[in-house]
Amino acid sequence: MRKNLLLLGAFIAAFHAPSVLAQAASPVELKGDVKLDKIVVQNGKEQHILSEPKIVVPGDRLIFSTAYHNNGAMVVKNFVVTNPIPEGVTLASDATGLLEVSVDGGKNWGRLALLTVPDGQGGTRPAQAADATHVRWTLASVAAGASGVLAYNAIVR
Amino acid sequence: MSKYAFIKHVRFFGLVATAIAAVHPASVIAAGVSAGTLIQSTATATYTAGTMNGSVQSNTLSVKVDELLDVAVSSLSGSTTTIGSNQVVLTYAVTNTGNGDEAFNIHVDPAVAGNQFDAVVQAIAIDSNGNNAYDAGVDLQLTNHNATPSIAPDGMVRIFVVVSLPASASDMQTSSVQLSAEAVTGSGSAGTAYAGQGTSSTDAVVGASGALAFANNDLLASLAVVTLTKSANIVDPFGGTQPVPGAIVTYIITAAVSGTGQAEGLQIADVIPTGTTYQNGTLKLEGASLSDASDSDAGNASASGVNVNLGTIAGGTNQTVKFDVKIN
Repeated sequence: MRKNLLLLGAFIAAFHAPSVLAQAASPVELKGDVKLDKIVVQNGKEQHILSEPKIVVPGDRLIFSTAYHNNGAMVVKNFVVTNPIPEGVTLASDATGLLEVSVDGGKNWGRLALLTVPDGQGGTRPAQAADATHVRWTLASVAAGASGVLAYNAIVR
Repeated sequence: MSKYAFIKHVRFFGLVATAIAAVHPASVIAAGVSAGTLIQSTATATYTAGTMNGSVQSNTLSVKVDELLDVAVSSLSGSTTTIGSNQVVLTYAVTNTGNGDEAFNIHVDPAVAGNQFDAVVQAIAIDSNGNNAYDAGVDLQLTNHNATPSIAPDGMVRIFVVVSLPASASDMQTSSVQLSAEAVTGSGSAGTAYAGQGTSSTDAVVGASGALAFANNDLLASLAVVTLTKSANIVDPFGGTQPVPGAIVTYIITAAVSGTGQAEGLQIADVIPTGTTYQNGTLKLEGASLSDASDSDAGNASASGVNVNLGTIAGGTNQTVKFDVKIN
């Protein structure tokens, strides 16, 4: 798995010149991006058309991505990227399986299926995608020069 | 090229595109976030580099939510409204199911295909005091094909359409009156965009409703038809039935009310024929005597004529009036 990551990281690195400014502040650079994900059916097959989110309305799918790039000369370890889920969107329910999420503002973490939230009547209920407040990724290490992209799908509330 | 790399990485983290495709949100919670809302996202990373702990933030992404143009119209008058000689009030609900403040053009069409009569629209008004009753002179009057005031997202207004029967309508005929509401910003097929025309400096986009919706209220005409028949019985002084001087003529006037409605203010009046004299105390309604004087009972009679006020008579009922005259 790591080997794959590094391979793809190298692929991206070729097209992203390291930022000198960012390097001065931190060996790692983060760059966020968001795309509108329109699903169209062509010849009976669903296709995802990604575009700049020029027009966005409730119900639309967005893909939030964070590109990371280790510009430094040394390996970075315990690399944890945290994305608070913005107000106005909800985590897409079909994208939660492998994601590590929090439903309590970032205090506790886990897969959504294992988390619970208060049910408002003194008990708890299984967490839904709409309950997620944060999503995060943990990489044991990012080699010098390596890069990659972390993404999650959201739906405009 | 970079897009290709992006997709590859999304796959790598298990979010395979085909798996994502399974569910596309057809419905959203209520009208969704308001037009003009900024969706802002900043990622943070923490890490260890050698013996140092570091953290770094991404740039902040900002996506402005545009205006979704959607509307729903429903009928609030129940299955069928019975209409007789008085006008009736039909009630519709117009709900802004979009996410921005929006006004809607209201079109009232009393000529719906299949109608047996087309109602006459007397007034269109918004229930501006919210009491669920039409208050003439209080509720805001609308001109047909003109716009409502702005309605907030998820907001509903009741609209009253006051209608009357056309003279051509007959008993038991049915009709529908349609009210449609169309977003002032624009309507069309879902996805049609109106650049820069949304609220809060947003673009406006037509939603699943097409930003145009309608509902019908159904009418059933309930009318009464009054048929008057007059007949006479003659008894002459010689035991026969000849109309000779001195003969007594009993006039019988029957008002037959038919139909599902009712005849209101029904009055039977007749003049005493020239050459005859009304016989005092002979006026009868349904076999019961009425005094000749104008008083608390339904009828009065004089040398010139008789008059009986029947009031409101339901369809399917007959009322018979009798009086006697003597041939001079």
